[in-house]
Formats: sequence, C-alpha cells, structure tokens
Amino acid sequence: MIELEGIKKVFRMGSQSLEALKGVSLKIERGEFISIMGPSGSGKSTLMNIIGCLDTPTEGEYVLDSDRVAGLSFDQLAAVRNRKIGFVFQNFNLLPYATAWENVELPLLFDGKNARKRKERVTELLKAIGLYDWREHRPSELSGGQQQRIALARALANDPPILLADEPTGNLDSRSGEEIMDILTELWKEGRTIVMVTHNDRISAHSQRIVRLFDGLVLP
Amino acid sequence: MNLTLPRFFWNEFRKRRKKAALITFALFWGTLSILLLLAFGQGMSTQFRVSFSGLGETLIMITGGQASLTFEGLPKGRPIRLYREDIAYLRERIPEALRIVPESYNNWQVSAGGKEVNRSVHGTTAEFALMRTQVPQMGGRFINADDNALGRKIAFIGWNVAKDLFGTEDPVGKEIVINRVPFTVIGVLMKKLQDSMYQGPDADQIYLPFSSFSMIDSQREIDRIHIQPRGPEQSKLVAERVRVLLGRKYRFDAADRYALGVWNTIEDSKEGLAIFKGIEIFLGIIGGLTLLIGAVGVTNLMYAVVKERTKEIGIKLAIGARRRIIIQQFILETMFIFAKGTFWGFIAAFNIVHLIRLIPVNYESFGIEAYLLRPIFSLRIFVAYVIILGVLVFLSGIFPALRASRSNPIESLRYE
Repeated sequence: MIELEGIKKVFRMGSQSLEALKGVSLKIERGEFISIMGPSGSGKSTLMNIIGCLDTPTEGEYVLDSDRVAGLSFDQLAAVRNRKIGFVFQNFNLLPYATAWENVELPLLFDGKNARKRKERVTELLKAIGLYDWREHRPSELSGGQQQRIALARALANDPPILLADEPTGNLDSRSGEEIMDILTELWKEGRTIVMVTHNDRISAHSQRIVRLFDGLVLP
Repeated sequence: MNLTLPRFFWNEFRKRRKKAALITFALFWGTLSILLLLAFGQGMSTQFRVSFSGLGETLIMITGGQASLTFEGLPKGRPIRLYREDIAYLRERIPEALRIVPESYNNWQVSAGGKEVNRSVHGTTAEFALMRTQVPQMGGRFINADDNALGRKIAFIGWNVAKDLFGTEDPVGKEIVINRVPFTVIGVLMKKLQDSMYQGPDADQIYLPFSSFSMIDSQREIDRIHIQPRGPEQSKLVAERVRVLLGRKYRFDAADRYALGVWNTIEDSKEGLAIFKGIEIFLGIIGGLTLLIGAVGVTNLMYAVVKERTKEIGIKLAIGARRRIIIQQFILETMFIFAKGTFWGFIAAFNIVHLIRLIPVNYESFGIEAYLLRPIFSLRIFVAYVIILGVLVFLSGIFPALRASRSNPIESLRYE
C-alpha cells in the first residue's frame, strides 16, 4: 500500500543544505499499525510529511496504492490528502474561527459532498467521539483532549484508509492521551492503516511494528 | 464551484469581520470621498448651466447702437434704432433662426392693494417664455398668442414683485395698476438661478403682451430683439446675418461693432462650460488616482491578511483544499469586503448629498452656496465607479490569493 524506496530529502537554506532523509526505504501494508520513532532531528516528521503527501522527496520513489506520488500535481496531491489520508497533529491544527462541527465538515466540503451527506457524516462522527453536544463550540472553548478528538473526527471525515498521527498525545494529559490511543487502536482494528510518529515507548506499544530512524536513515 | 463553499466562506468571513474592518473602512471612506467629490463636481457644473440658462438658452440678443464708421456717405455717430417691423424682416431672411421675438421696456410706477413700487415693465410675445426660461409657478401661466392678438390687460410678474405687492398672498387673478392702467396678474415666475441679466433679475420684472404694452407706451421703436438659432452651432452665422441684414436696412457697415449691440450668450456659455468641463475632468482624474491608491492599499492589506492566515491556509491545504478553493476564498472575501465598504459608502454619500440639497439656497445672492449646495448624486457615475473599483479590488485580491494558494503546506503549518 505504501512503498518508499531510497527516499532522500534535502532542505536548502541559501548556500547551506541539510539532508533530512538520506535514503529511506520502507513498506507499509494495508491495515498495519506502525510507529516511527527516533530522536529529534532524525527525520521522523519529514518522513511523515512525505508519506502524507504534504511534501515531496528530493530523490527516491514513493508509491501509494500503485500510484507514483512524484508524478502527481499540487491539486492531485490535495485530492489524495482529502480522500486517502487523515491527519492528526500534535497541536491539533483546528481552525480557530470554526466551530467543532465546521472543522469536521471542512474535508467533506472540499470533497464536494452535498449538504445531506455532510450532515449525516458529521453527526455520525461527533456522536462516535462523544462530542455531538459540543458541536457549536470553538476550539478555544474545548479541552486539549476534546480538541484532539475533533481533529480525529476531521481526519476520518472522508473515511480515509490511512491515518497519519504526528505525536497525537504530545500535548495531552495521560488520561486524554490514553483515550486517543484507544480510538486509534479501535480504528486500526476496523482495518485502517495507522502510521504514528512518537518518541514515547508507552504510546508506541500500541502499534504492531516500530520503525526507528536515526540521522535520516532507518535503523535495521 | 460547489455552491456550499461560498456559504462556508461567508460564515468564516463573518467571524473574522472585525479583522477585516480596516479594509472595509478604507473602501467605505474611499467610496464616500469619491462619490461626494464627483457629486459636488457635477452639481457645480449643472448649477452653472442652470444659472446661465436662467437668462435663456441658445440666445442672441440684439439692441440698437450708434454707427462708429462712415458708410456710403453717411456720417458716423448716427443712432441705430430697432422697430417692430424688423421682426418680420429678419424672420423672412434668416431661416437658421428658430424664434425671433421683440421686447420693449420702460420703468413705471406699479401699485396693488395700496402698495406702490417702481419696476421695469416689458412688452413681449408668448415665445419669449421659451427663450428666456420664464416658467410660471403652479396655478399661473405666461402670456400666450391670444393675449397679444386681443390686447388683453394681463401681466406676468417676477416673484419679488409678487412679494413686494402681495406679501404671502397668491397674486394670480388680482389686479395691479401699471402707469395708471389696470392689469390682471395671470402668473408668477418660478424661482430660478440667474447669473446674467440686463434690466435686473427676472424676479423684479413685469411682462405684458406686446400689444398691451404698446397701448401704454408711446415709443415706436423696440428695445431688444431676441433670436434663438435652430442649433447652438449656428449662433455665429445668425449673429453675422443680423448685422448684414440690418446694416443693409439701416445703412451701416456690417463690420461696425458699435452699430448694434449683439450679445451672443451661446459663445459666452461655451467659455464657462469649458471651465466647468475642465473642473469635472480634474475631479475625475483625482477620483481615478484615489481609486488607484485605494486599490494599492487593499492589495497591501490583503497581503497582510494572507500572511496572518498562513497557518489556516496550511491546515486547509493539509486536509485537501485544492488551489482554486484557497483562491476562491480570498477573492470572495475581498469582494465581500468591497461590497460591504462600497454599500455603506454609497448609503452615506447618497444621504449626505440629499441632506445638503435640503439646505435652502438664496437665488438672488448668486453666492458660492448656490453652486456648492446642489451636489448631484448620479446613479450612472455610481455604477461606473462600482465597475471600476470592483475590477481594481478584484485585481488587488487576486495576487494575495495566488500567493496564498501557492503556499507550502508544511511551512504554512509551522507558521506561528
């Protein structure tokens, strides 16, 4: 499902260049739950961004569902992010002006779903995460755990087969963190592919497989 | 475009409207300033035309003079006088003239209801009203052809005469005595701006049918001939033909500028109108430059908005917003702001113009207020303004929107 072969990523800042990934090869099967771990600066987030089609590799081949990602346009990548991949960020990244309902509805709007389908789906998701009664609240009116659950609902809006979670519990207390991990585990059991970046061993214990990065390379 | 997206954009815009208040205010202020500028420009220009036409429109006035050149053995210094027969003489020979009417006047004591004033009394015909903007107030009329044919003892009076003799009473149907002969008032002149005159403003004059005037006035000659050419472009030709024809009749040199008094108001008004046209163009240029400055201001502010919303753009891109969605949102927001600012600017300008127009103008003073206090709100100018500003604002919004759409999702997400 996700195949990375010899992925390199070089960031250029003026005359300086920084090689964040130095040739990463990785294969993630459908329905797998993997954790990507490593110290700061090891390239975890860069790898996650490339898998999430938020960034493109400088070198190497990335095949997602038999499609070569390198050949996709900006808008085709946006469509992939909209339908195939759900993102959960450490700092939630909810739109501050939008209500919980509107935040969850946004990917459906971008996908052109009609009002009836949007209403059904947002209602279903908000009820599933237990925040239906909070639907008119803005992110600033919600706790960290509630915000992350809204972010999770948003990530699931278009029912994507892949969920990418970048330190999903990093900004949460342990109880909220556990709740989020329970939801992620549940989603994996339903058949979704989960790729999670963390440097917390307790969190990574939820996954099936751990991929360790160091200095831009996958440790054997 | 998905129809639900604009509604979502509108919702977002409403929540952020306080942040957009500065741009909205800039557009409101710009709209108000430019619409007022143009309204005052157009009002002044129109008032000038109105005040000039207070004397009459496309009018040439001929008066007798004195020969200043010897001609065919005749000495200079001879007085040249005009007579009633000259009207028919000129009408037959100048087909380019639409109307030719006589006018005679004299100063007499005029009394009514125990009040007495000394006023200029004129004898003329019905067509005089069309040439000299003699519009009666409600309930009255000017002299007609029958009045002249039947020698009716009727009078059309200026509003000052009405006020002096009758106070606040309606003079129509009442009697006035002119040079010991009773006349019935049939109409009062409607108030008007008049910046050019000969026997004083029309507000102070009394007009009688020419035939009735001749009964109380002993002189045979007439004081003035009013000629209206068929078109303003024929005014010079008509004036020249009058000199040649009357020169032939009364034996003076047509090139003698003192033999006749010729007041060509059409040529005079051209000069005045050119000045006001110049002012209008100048105001238009100022308005155009203001629009351009406004558009640059909107662009800058929209760039600032894009910068401030970098993270939001990143989030939207991360969850699947296509480039055109980002562009649409910024363009629509710019147009929402444009619509709001322009709408309130229009409302404010419209009301200010109409409030100013409520201030009464003293028609006799010819002061600057008669020109300044009559701004004109033109819907045509407003529509043109909206189209031009709309295009400029759209262009102001498109560049920041394009920049936003080209954002790198990762960099945008990291932006704090």
